[in-house]
Amino acid sequence: MDGKNTNTEIVRVENVRKVYHDNGVPVDALRGINLTVSPGDFSVIAGPSGSGKTTLLNIVGTLDKPTEGKVYLDGEDVASKTRRELADMRLRKIGFVFQAYNLNPVLSALENVEFTMMLRGIDAGKRKRKSLALLEELGIGELANKRPNEMSGGQQQRVAIARAISNEPRLVLADEPTANLDSETAVKLLELMERLNHEDGITFVFSSHDPQVIERAHRLLILKDGQIVTDKVNK
Amino acid sequence: MIGRIAWRNILRNKRRSLILITSIVVGVLALVLTEGFATGMLHQMLSNQISADAGYIQIHKKGYQSDPTLENAMTNPGPVREILTKERAILNYSERLRVFGLVSSPYNSYGVSIVGIVPSAEKKITTISQYITKGSYLSGEPGQILLSTSMADKLKVGLGDKVVIMASQIDGSVGSEACRVSGIFETFNSGFDQSHVYIPIQTADQMLNADGLVSEFVVNPKNTRDQAAVESRVRDDIAGLPGAAGEYEVLSYEQMLPLLVAQLVLYRQALYLIAGIIAVALIFGIIDTMLMSVMERTHEFGVSMAIGMSNRKIFTMVMIEALYLAVIGTAIGLAGSYGASLSLSRTGWDLSMFSASLKSLGVGSIIYPVLETSYVVPTVLVIPVVTLLGAVYPALKAVRLQPVEAIRAT
Repeated sequence: MDGKNTNTEIVRVENVRKVYHDNGVPVDALRGINLTVSPGDFSVIAGPSGSGKTTLLNIVGTLDKPTEGKVYLDGEDVASKTRRELADMRLRKIGFVFQAYNLNPVLSALENVEFTMMLRGIDAGKRKRKSLALLEELGIGELANKRPNEMSGGQQQRVAIARAISNEPRLVLADEPTANLDSETAVKLLELMERLNHEDGITFVFSSHDPQVIERAHRLLILKDGQIVTDKVNK
Repeated sequence: MIGRIAWRNILRNKRRSLILITSIVVGVLALVLTEGFATGMLHQMLSNQISADAGYIQIHKKGYQSDPTLENAMTNPGPVREILTKERAILNYSERLRVFGLVSSPYNSYGVSIVGIVPSAEKKITTISQYITKGSYLSGEPGQILLSTSMADKLKVGLGDKVVIMASQIDGSVGSEACRVSGIFETFNSGFDQSHVYIPIQTADQMLNADGLVSEFVVNPKNTRDQAAVESRVRDDIAGLPGAAGEYEVLSYEQMLPLLVAQLVLYRQALYLIAGIIAVALIFGIIDTMLMSVMERTHEFGVSMAIGMSNRKIFTMVMIEALYLAVIGTAIGLAGSYGASLSLSRTGWDLSMFSASLKSLGVGSIIYPVLETSYVVPTVLVIPVVTLLGAVYPALKAVRLQPVEAIRAT
């Protein structure tokens, strides 16, 4: 495999191993992972705690480096990139949704969404209009001027999704996005992401052990002890 | 937007920001007030010396400054007097016949500078007449003498008592005069008081058999800012007198009081040292506080890095936070210190409890601070520079965070 962008793959992970050292003792977090993510995927990486879900997501998201193996993002070998180039790559190509929402507490909902666009150098007027439109689309337009501490968990996660898709990324990585939400809110959020996937063609990869997420995913990958034990299309 | 975030980051932990701003304010206050009081004190020392004795310009016979003896007095002061009378930019001038001699009472004798003055002219040029605490200033009658309180105490004499003054005449013989104490003075400078007595110039002339000799002309210009121009004109005019080339020296107060002027210059340099010490004390506080602020936000920085914030922007944000704190702290510190100095420059700072030591320095017991912007600004700029320098390490620390580890931090 040459790792070139064939337009049918956003992510290609080849023989990735990740070894952590816990007090000097090596721990295999990932053991020979091979994976591709194609445009329009709505995939979930499931598995018990400690199976390596978050580690894999971090490696795919260029936040962490594999001990061995290759990761290609949009055909580009991420190992050859500098820290600065990786930051730029994340800014342009990846959107992140975290379990704990991770909004900037000093910024309003609108500003949190604007933030990533600001980092790309988009002018203030345009980014404000787009952020407002996104918040409206996600059903939280009226919260534009609220700070994170004035919003519920579900509302914050919607803002986080708006932030993640504001730069029109090739891929959104969502690490346990529903873990902190009640069941009803989680369902609404999943429906929202499904809609974004279906209508806007946004590619999602989740890590989760929430049955509601697994149920809705189009593709299910199950990790166990750092290895993919199941990779199947979800009926 | 980075600036807005930086500003809100400052506001999110108001107490910490307030502590940091306060330490900057204290640093600026310490620096500016030290500068103000020291400059004020040195200016007072200088102006006291000028107003009580030296004046702004003096004219001597060449060599008198380095060897102030009768041999170096002016034998023909008339033409100089004429030039000074004609010079329009001169406010007043006075002439003196000064000699080192002895003042004696039945109890004691002391070596002093015996200053023969023209009382009416001297009154217009120096402030000695204002320091009379007992009796009265010289009326012009021959045989009067003004002594300081400390000298009168040492000689155990009072008003109306007789003392004898004696000094070497130009031919080497000793001349003496009996004088009656007409007034007792006490200036700001204990050293000066113990070494000066004043008599009418005719009495000095008579005692020294000086035949119209003048040791020095003391000149005050109408406007002190014109001092250099007046000095230069007088110098030229005197040099133009027949046979006067190289015969006279026209000196500014800087040349007459070199030690004091050197002290002023030295203190300016010492102030940079003080600024350095304050800066060192401040920088550790800034590093510590900024580091705490950065470390508390490790998780946030990790998230920002994850969503694509570059190292440069993270570094810039932390530096902007420091800049805001520095600007606010410096501005408040400057406003406060200028306010305090302005108010104290009117009322003065009463240091009567240290009056004895201040007197030995030639300063009054009330200090009036003086702030010279040209000196204050560069010294105070040290503070924001130090604040920014102190923020560099915390900012680098933020930049060096590994996103995946930073996100895990709580």
